[in-house]
Amino acid sequence: MRVPYNYLPMQFARPEAIFRDWRRLIRTSEFTLGPFVEAFEKKFARFIGARYVVSTNNGTDALIMSLKAVGVRPGDEVISVTNTFYATIGAIVAAGAKPVLLDCDERYQIDLNLIERAITRKTRCILPVHWPGCSPDMHALMKIARRHGLPVVEDACMAVGGSVRGRHPGTFGKVNAFSMHPLKPLNVMGDGGMVATDDERAYRWMLRYRNHGMVDRNHNDIWGVNYRLQPLQAIVASHVLDTVPEIIRIRTRNARLLDEGLKEMRPWVVTPPRPAGFQETYGLYMVLAKKRDALLRHLQRHGVEAKVHYPVPLHLQKAARVYGYRRGDCPKAEQQAQQLVSLPMHQFVSIRQIRYILKTIRNFYKN
Amino acid sequence: MMSAFSVPYANFSLKTREVRDRLMQAFASVLDDCRYIQGPEVQAFEKEFAQYCGSPFATGVANGTCSLHLTLRAIGVGPGDEVITAPNSFIASASTIALVGAKPVFADVREDLNIDPDAIEAAITSRTKALVPVHLAGRMAQMPRILAIAKKHNLFVLEDAAQSVGAKLDGKRAGSWGDAASFSLHPLKNLHAYGDAGILTTHRRELLDKLSLAKNHGLKSRDHCEFWGFNCRLDEMQAALLRVHLRELDRWTEERRALAHRYHQLLKPFVSIPAEGTGEYHVYQTYVVLADRRDDLQAFLRKEGIEALVHYPTPIHQQPAAQGLGYRAGDFPKTMELSRKILSLPLYPGLTHGQQDQVADAFARFYRS
Repeated sequence: MRVPYNYLPMQFARPEAIFRDWRRLIRTSEFTLGPFVEAFEKKFARFIGARYVVSTNNGTDALIMSLKAVGVRPGDEVISVTNTFYATIGAIVAAGAKPVLLDCDERYQIDLNLIERAITRKTRCILPVHWPGCSPDMHALMKIARRHGLPVVEDACMAVGGSVRGRHPGTFGKVNAFSMHPLKPLNVMGDGGMVATDDERAYRWMLRYRNHGMVDRNHNDIWGVNYRLQPLQAIVASHVLDTVPEIIRIRTRNARLLDEGLKEMRPWVVTPPRPAGFQETYGLYMVLAKKRDALLRHLQRHGVEAKVHYPVPLHLQKAARVYGYRRGDCPKAEQQAQQLVSLPMHQFVSIRQIRYILKTIRNFYKN
Repeated sequence: MMSAFSVPYANFSLKTREVRDRLMQAFASVLDDCRYIQGPEVQAFEKEFAQYCGSPFATGVANGTCSLHLTLRAIGVGPGDEVITAPNSFIASASTIALVGAKPVFADVREDLNIDPDAIEAAITSRTKALVPVHLAGRMAQMPRILAIAKKHNLFVLEDAAQSVGAKLDGKRAGSWGDAASFSLHPLKNLHAYGDAGILTTHRRELLDKLSLAKNHGLKSRDHCEFWGFNCRLDEMQAALLRVHLRELDRWTEERRALAHRYHQLLKPFVSIPAEGTGEYHVYQTYVVLADRRDDLQAFLRKEGIEALVHYPTPIHQQPAAQGLGYRAGDFPKTMELSRKILSLPLYPGLTHGQQDQVADAFARFYRS
């Protein structure tokens, strides 16, 4: 049996409805922003419960623009976490600031106990990551941020369809970023992203900044960029958004089956705690496994396309050398990096395939 | 597209109709392949585009703005540096310089709308790091002289070729002259995607390698981050569509040129026309005439159902965003003079002789009244 990681061929097996809207788009020739993009932004804002949404070309652009919108400038420090995708930290550096990378907890979330100690006079913002579709305790994090008068920018790139005690990720911070990369819970056929905010001033600024700083066709009052979402992708996003609740429902069912089946394999395989009140999106289904590299090879040999996200935490990447981090600075993340394995788990994985994954893991540890 | 104009400024659907079946096939092949990020279509397009420009390397990016921005960053332009460009371009030529923290320094232009090499030389200081000559409207800047100046002062030359894909000077195409060149493939460009897209050419291997990483998070491999980068990737779907268009580009350019030459004959009695100079191969991305009483003419044409536009009515040094740079209105007299006269007329493959005659007829009535 094969359990492929990539589900896109199945997800887009019947693209006729998308093609119909693409034909409408080509007839109107609105290839730069325009009505399809605006309609999607409104629809997404309603979906997550945000006042304003500005779409972008990708999640990285969304992060950079969010940081700039809350006032991050060269010389500032931004507190974030070491176990995330490169773009979280790349965005901080792109905004000219210094990333301060904290360790994570056993749920792969930023360790809230470390934040206050990391705050300095230069700290301009806290950037928690909903990694990898799970959420930090946002209510507790917001309390810390408020106590220090710091704005929060959420990296909710993996978190569309999730919830934290009834509230959608990416609606706690002042300005928050989302991604629609092909392997996200809400995805397009290429790159796409969004920024959500309730702050009208930040919203007005972002609308201009995203499109060359233009007030109108002939006037610009700030230096801006081109971070526009492709209308072709806005159409795909709008169709896929309708299916997100169902995607999350099936992924949650699959995650429960895996969690249940893996229980008997403790302490060889450890699933993260899943406290009540947090709806995860399972952007990735990650567990910690002993003899990880051998397990990975075993799974792959038996057709289970498992992966590692990621073997080297960001504070130990070559790009981070200038900040002087050393091995041991983030012990939890470093230890997890040796043991993390992402099992193929998405809405097209069947119950039979889940049983097969479990059997394959069981056989590995039996020997 | 339904338009209120009998001669609209742009009309995509004419070209799209010709290649529609092949576009849908291209979409379908990406859907079947399912590699939506930096897949085979992007790779193939990069190779074909480099070959087209006569440059050894090309790397696809998300749009023309990020291609300028990435290149300036990659060559180390930053705070305290100056970069010289033209003040009559689209805002991105200057905003990308400001965004890396450097100062955009403007040099005035010539009657042909392109940057004046003498003005470049006069603007060079010890802080100058690079030159960004713009090939405006489809015509190349004076590259032989600009390259000689750059060599003398040891400056990096980044061609802003956003408006001039396929243009030539002395038989050599835009994108094959400078250290690097930036192209926009925005819907209103001669070679365009169905949304935003861009591409860079360079003959420097090490720069190509750096840009290829920079546009994809600085990732040397899936698990190793060499430096903090961006996400400025060319969309796989757009690359597939661009490949269809690239095959037709020379034919479409020739059609534009034939229409432009016809405009020359029709409009010469009334306005200054964009005739080619020696050695120039103008691709007429925009057909810009210099007209007296421009605003009145534009309003008159509009009444006659002809959509003419101005690119751009406010020079960059006059924009509110440029206030901090300390320029004054009179600093670039030629640019200011041209900004009152330039008018862009409808020109695209599929524009009919009848529509051109309608334009000429309106000019005649306006200037004879």
